[in-house]
Amino acid sequence: MANRSTQKHTMTKRKMFLRMITSSLLRRRSRMIIALFSIGIGATILAGLVTIYIDVPRQMGAQFRSYGANVLILPKDGQTLTTKALNESLSSVPPEEIVGSAPYRYVRLDMMTRQQSFTAAGTDFNQIIRTSPYFSVEGSYPASIREILVGKEIAETIGLKTGSSIELTYQPPIREETDEDAAASGDFLSGSAEGFNGALVYVTAAIDDQAKITSIAIDATTQTPQYGGQVMENEDFEAQFIGKSVPLTLGEDVDALTGATITSTAVVTALNQARRTSVPTQPRSVTYTVTGILTTGGEEEGYVFMSLDDMIAITGENKIDVAELSISASADKLSSYVEQIEENSPVAKARLVKRVARSEAAVLSKLQALVFLVTAVVLLLTMICVSTTMMAVVSERRREIGLRKALGASDESIRAEFMGEALFLGLLGGIMGAILGFAFAQVVSVNVFGSSISFQPLLLPAAILVSMAVAAASCLLPIKRAIAIDPALVLKGE
Amino acid sequence: MSLLELKSVSKIYGDLKALDNVSLHVDEGEWVAIMGPSGSGKSTMMNIIGCMDKPTKGEVLLDGVDISKESSRHLTDIRRDKIGLIFQQFHMVPHLTAVENIMVSQYYHSLPDEEEALEALGRVGLRDRARHLPSQLSGGEQQRVCVARALINHPELILADEPTGNLDEANENIVLDLFAQLHKEGTTLIVVTHDQEVAAAAQRTIVLEHGRVAREVINEDFGKTL
Ligand SMILES: Nc1ncnc2c1ncn2[C@@H]1O[C@H](COP(=O)(O)OP(=O)(O)OP(=O)(O)O)[C@@H](O)[C@H]1O
Ligand SMILES: [Mg+2]
Repeated sequence: MANRSTQKHTMTKRKMFLRMITSSLLRRRSRMIIALFSIGIGATILAGLVTIYIDVPRQMGAQFRSYGANVLILPKDGQTLTTKALNESLSSVPPEEIVGSAPYRYVRLDMMTRQQSFTAAGTDFNQIIRTSPYFSVEGSYPASIREILVGKEIAETIGLKTGSSIELTYQPPIREETDEDAAASGDFLSGSAEGFNGALVYVTAAIDDQAKITSIAIDATTQTPQYGGQVMENEDFEAQFIGKSVPLTLGEDVDALTGATITSTAVVTALNQARRTSVPTQPRSVTYTVTGILTTGGEEEGYVFMSLDDMIAITGENKIDVAELSISASADKLSSYVEQIEENSPVAKARLVKRVARSEAAVLSKLQALVFLVTAVVLLLTMICVSTTMMAVVSERRREIGLRKALGASDESIRAEFMGEALFLGLLGGIMGAILGFAFAQVVSVNVFGSSISFQPLLLPAAILVSMAVAAASCLLPIKRAIAIDPALVLKGE
Repeated sequence: MSLLELKSVSKIYGDLKALDNVSLHVDEGEWVAIMGPSGSGKSTMMNIIGCMDKPTKGEVLLDGVDISKESSRHLTDIRRDKIGLIFQQFHMVPHLTAVENIMVSQYYHSLPDEEEALEALGRVGLRDRARHLPSQLSGGEQQRVCVARALINHPELILADEPTGNLDEANENIVLDLFAQLHKEGTTLIVVTHDQEVAAAAQRTIVLEHGRVAREVINEDFGKTL
């Protein structure tokens, strides 16, 4: 018997092992189902929690985004920030992570008839919707020129309603005449129009006495660099405008740049819609129409909001004071973006909005700690449950175990058989847990966070491994019991 | 040549002497029957010889090794390698079929071999019941499976505790024929029985009473009836 081919027979021995284990599980179904369920349900909850645990930062990130901006862009000391410089400074942030970027230019405007003055903000309303989703507007956002949004506080003190008119006056700062100012003075056209994807293209053009364009500056930083963005770099394109006066017709006065038709159209439209303005030396008054009343619960209710175009028109200056960014990234990534923006841009500096960024991290870590705790408790409960079931299995199978020992089973064989059964259960429970757990996480995610999650491919092996480990650990005590069974006593009994 | 020797073996439970100073000698290849009233210590002695229990006092030499002093791990090895057991209450693994129950014994001993296991079932007339679970077999059939399992690894010594207690005349004869065959092949047999006929098939009968050897009867007719 000893000199048979070992190769063939070790296989047979393993086969016999598997046969014993599977028949024990399959032919003693009721017990197996209880054990399988305790492991499977444990694995389901674990897999679900882990999936949520992994996905929560992403989910929470998106959730926190909706509570406002998390990065501010400011001009460096002594520098002027423009929308162009702002967009250029954002090149270090992956576009898909930028939820929104709202520029702000703040000035004081007077309401002469009431002897009052307000802070007015020039901004991009399309971006505000994204960076400040908590803005609640009664009426509608301004859609054309000389339309404004007024804060609830102002609306109440002055008695403004949607559709009301209000005249506001800009008092230019008193400045000493210098050569530079002289050069900068004179009239110019300033306007914007929607280009590719509805993003704004800004155009500023200096004009002479006969309203002929003498120089042009295009800001197409929101456009795709290889296509529409080319209008900024192409001198021939810009040269076409020199000496001409608005309104212009694309194809006649000016030819579109190849590959940048939409943006070229936007440049011409912006110029045609542009308002003639100048750096004012006298107070300048403009009458605006109120399109909506803004409620935010914050200091914004004391502000007036207008488009950046209107702001440039009244102040004669193309600059912004600050931009609010909403970026969907982890706290670590955010800090690195802030550093990169500082480094790369000559004019812009970036600051984390500390309160939101920090509380986000704090809530996250608390949430993860909670999930961690629940996971540990579930693990423990599963182990107790499986252990109890296996204990019952061992006492139920005392006679069989005694018999096996009488037939010559060593302690190792008994251990291997029970371990084998436990690992097999763990395998089945793990597969069940990974599938049901993902479904569970999906349901939770959809109901709590309102978004679906993708299946983590690692979840399956991880769930199987963990439930096998849990099943194995739960069996240690029952196996000890099984090994302690005395065959003589058991076989004599009954 | 002596295979088994009990020297003044006692097994004491509290103040009950299940075995009381028993000395016994069994030669290799011998066929011995053990009789005695219920509670006389027959199963206790079988358990000690079968390496499943240890005596309170005395020495038990099996193949020259004193098994009363061995560790339980070593006893398992000895039992597996040398002894085939048939229990008073037939025991089978309930979730394994007849043939699988026999293969379990092969599995622990060396290597499972289904062909050989089926052959052994054939020897007890149960080849066609090979795929049945114990619950689907009658008591007599289960006992015969246990007999087949006991001889599958060709043990030197077969210990049978009431192997025919549940069998009818015909089945009893199948088992006795099998024992005779094993005896011819040189296997040592120790068979506990209440049945005079089964005892008569052995070479020698030892009678236990109150844990002591009351008497020994040599079967003068051995070999003639078979
Ligand atoms: N574990 C034990 N603890 C206490 N007493 C025991 C134990 N095992 C056996 N005994 C006692 O030892 C005596 C001998 O028992 P044993 O099982 O050997 O009898 P037996 O001869 O096999 O009887 P039967 O013919 O009924 O099978 C009995 O009185 C029994 O009650
Ligand atoms: Mg007995």
